[in-house]
Amino acid sequence: MNYFEKMKGASQSPPSVSKLEVFLSWLGSFLGIAAIGAMNYIYMGSQENTLMIASFAASAVLLFGAPKSPLAQPRNFVGGHILAAFIGVAFCKTFVTQPALAASLAVSTAIAVMHLTRTLHPPAGATALNAIIGGAKVHQLGFAYPIFPVAVGVFILLAVALIFNNAPKNRRYPEFWL
Amino acid sequence: MVDTSFNACAPVQISDDDIFTAMREISGYLDITPSDFKELYLKAYQHALSRLTRIVKVKEVMTTRVVSAKIDSSLENVAVLMAENHISGLPVVDGKGKPLGIISERDFLEAMVGKKSAGLMEIIVQCLRGRNCLMAPVRVKSAKDFMTTPVIIVGGADSVDDVSNLFASKRINRAPVVDGEGRMIGIVSRGDLMRASVTGGQE
Repeated sequence: MNYFEKMKGASQSPPSVSKLEVFLSWLGSFLGIAAIGAMNYIYMGSQENTLMIASFAASAVLLFGAPKSPLAQPRNFVGGHILAAFIGVAFCKTFVTQPALAASLAVSTAIAVMHLTRTLHPPAGATALNAIIGGAKVHQLGFAYPIFPVAVGVFILLAVALIFNNAPKNRRYPEFWL
Repeated sequence: MVDTSFNACAPVQISDDDIFTAMREISGYLDITPSDFKELYLKAYQHALSRLTRIVKVKEVMTTRVVSAKIDSSLENVAVLMAENHISGLPVVDGKGKPLGIISERDFLEAMVGKKSAGLMEIIVQCLRGRNCLMAPVRVKSAKDFMTTPVIIVGGADSVDDVSNLFASKRINRAPVVDGEGRMIGIVSRGDLMRASVTGGQE
């Protein structure tokens, strides 16, 4: 197959999911994000939103929208976010004056490390990026960032996924732990 | 649903390890677990089988050189025909070639023991108990009196899939294939259907 032929694509989009599945994805992700929001409110107050990282929204897509995906499994979800958070902080500290370089290296290195550790989790790329572009508050956290808010938020979302995804008859979570 | 009693149609027993190894051979990241893939594979296999056997017509897999008996053939003649042609059953046809009934090995076995669903071992039991020719009481009968009726017939344009299901539900092993006027154009056996399921009609 030549270079341009490859660009045409070769397959088709998988079929749509059932209406029930749509509703469960909606309800699960609502509860997941709400749980993080509630924890943030209880411990940080209404002026702060340190616990609410944008990449958790992307994780909610996988955990509640595609819970069978290997990318959505606990190994990937927990491992990916924490590793990527460390990598993000490390590059942020190394290239303080070149945030664009730090951002590119953090995201790409996070993907490489996740691949090598079999913890690939797409939203974690944003967790690495957030360590650099997240502003002064995130920078102040330093190497605490992977623990709080990342790991704390991850475990809240994981708990909701375990409780919620195993309740309906046609759903189960996870497919595997490690 | 595909009839699972046709064991020859069962998909290759694919293990999780096979899938894991195959996934390794594909260089990119595959967003599916081995167990989901296995479930998908088995379901897809059943659909493929059903599709292929629905396309293939009975006409394409039937046996056209049919050994058949006439209604007034003696039972001895029927037995000789079956023995010489190494077949376990044959249709009984009228003068115009319309199938009227089926005679199979099972009919003989049942006649010898005098009850339904008799097996070879029951014949042996009777022999060991000192009876002579167990077929003697039925020797006088002709094909017409002996055959199983009504005969279950199929059309040449019927799909292999439908006929397989018919065989399973009626518990039969062969059926005459007839044309529009009801004349026999061939016979289809369980073996013919099985071969069609395995090869998808491609010999």
